[in-house]
Amino acid sequence: MDILAQLIVSGISVGMVYGVIAFGYQLTFATSKTLNFGQGEALMLGALVGLTTINFLIATGMSTLVAFALMLPIVLIFGLAQGAVVEFLGVRQAMRTKSEAGWIMATIALGIIFKNLAENIWGRDALRFPSPLPEQALSLGAVRIQPMEIAILLGALGLMVAVEIFNRKSIYGKAVVATALDRDAAGLMGIDTRLVITFSYALSSMSAAFAGVLVAPITLTGPAMGGALGLKAFAVAIIGGLSSGYGVVVGGMILGITENLTGYYISTGYKDVPGLLLLLLVLSIKPAGLFGSTAIKKV
Amino acid sequence: MLKVDNLIAGYGKVQVLHGISLTVADGALVTLIGSNGAGKTTTLRALSGMIAPSQGTVLLGQQGAGDPSSALENITGLPAHQITRRGVAHSPEGRRVFATLPVEDNLLLGAFPRLSGARPRGEPAADLERMYDLFPRLRERRRQLAGTLSGGEQQMLAMARALMLNPAVLMLDEPSMGLAPKLVSEVFAIIARLKERKITMLLVEQFAAAALEVADFGYVLENGRISASGPADKLRNDPAVQAAYLGAAH
Repeated sequence: MDILAQLIVSGISVGMVYGVIAFGYQLTFATSKTLNFGQGEALMLGALVGLTTINFLIATGMSTLVAFALMLPIVLIFGLAQGAVVEFLGVRQAMRTKSEAGWIMATIALGIIFKNLAENIWGRDALRFPSPLPEQALSLGAVRIQPMEIAILLGALGLMVAVEIFNRKSIYGKAVVATALDRDAAGLMGIDTRLVITFSYALSSMSAAFAGVLVAPITLTGPAMGGALGLKAFAVAIIGGLSSGYGVVVGGMILGITENLTGYYISTGYKDVPGLLLLLLVLSIKPAGLFGSTAIKKV
Repeated sequence: MLKVDNLIAGYGKVQVLHGISLTVADGALVTLIGSNGAGKTTTLRALSGMIAPSQGTVLLGQQGAGDPSSALENITGLPAHQITRRGVAHSPEGRRVFATLPVEDNLLLGAFPRLSGARPRGEPAADLERMYDLFPRLRERRRQLAGTLSGGEQQMLAMARALMLNPAVLMLDEPSMGLAPKLVSEVFAIIARLKERKITMLLVEQFAAAALEVADFGYVLENGRISASGPADKLRNDPAVQAAYLGAAH
């Protein structure tokens, strides 16, 4: 029983990381009906830029916690810029030529380029990311939880709540929602919908970069870290639904917990299988996702 | 004012408008009538930038601008958001309200260029109140999602949303479409009140009789061309217009 609780608790924090990345998929899908398949690489770049920044700051004599806090805005701004570049180079051209699959190829290609770039700058090895919080686990009854896992949970929820508040309260957020609901009508409101789509790509990559520096202290950092995370988050976005905010939270938790249970009770070798099976199951039974109302494509 | 010269537009390779010229003077209510498929909606879409015209010019003058001759700006082919920011409000066919947003958010989005600094700000909060005075039903339903409104209420919302721009020109596409007769007369009563306020309007209507009743000037559109034009009361008494559009027996 204790082991089960332990597996669930640590599954939740990993699941929240998937949830934040999946949330990024939703952001671009809402406004442009396209996804950044280089989302995992956006996460990886964010983590590596964060690593270089935090190491530099620590070298100036700061504590890890202060360095982490100062590094965050730099990583977020980097994420915004990286997303805007992806939209400009990969998506805009495909949308202009009304190419059905162009954006898929283009975002995958950009992801590969980013990974190559990272291998040349940071090397192929996985690097240790300094943890801003004590690495000693806290005991909650029989369950042990790392402070960083709690930070992941709070950070992930905080980011999603912040975006939701922005969408509901600010006129620019409402403009994003209007573009997602009816792009032509939004244009008639004087909203530059192309800029909104660029912005949603920027925000999407920013979410991924944020997830990257959240997860980096409990995993390792390296050019290869993004691929699997991006793919799993894609599964979460499909399971939870591409249009449902809490769908990605629940979907992320389902996947995180299932992985942990499989890893413990069956074999770590099969850890990734149940999530992908769930993905196939959802796609064949309820393609709009468990909580969603928009299918990726109606055929 | 809006001055359109020899506008040619369509969808893909299908040309719908074959050279439309029309003028909407400051403070005037001009109506564009014609049967289904004549190109009324396409005209508005080409004027507001929802589709790009392939030829012709569209000139826009800001209402009340000092020297009328120097104030005309060429807005041909600009994207929709640029045209809106210059003061052309388009209440489109099918209303196109943002269904899952509250009524009030829909109205605020109508004022987006003002709230984001692309157009003089004025007093958005006071204008919101003015819209609620003009459309009391919207005040009652300000927190309700737009998609839950009745067809008539959605039409009111679409008009109010367009007015929130403080437009130089207001373009209304078939505001009476799909409404019960009682609501149709309500819509026309509101159009008459907007006319009293000297709001420059281009009204597209299938109810030609009602449109010519309220308008100053009319254009008849037939197969993508202007087939007749003149002061609204003259058109109303024109036997050819009567036979074709006003349901006259002879």
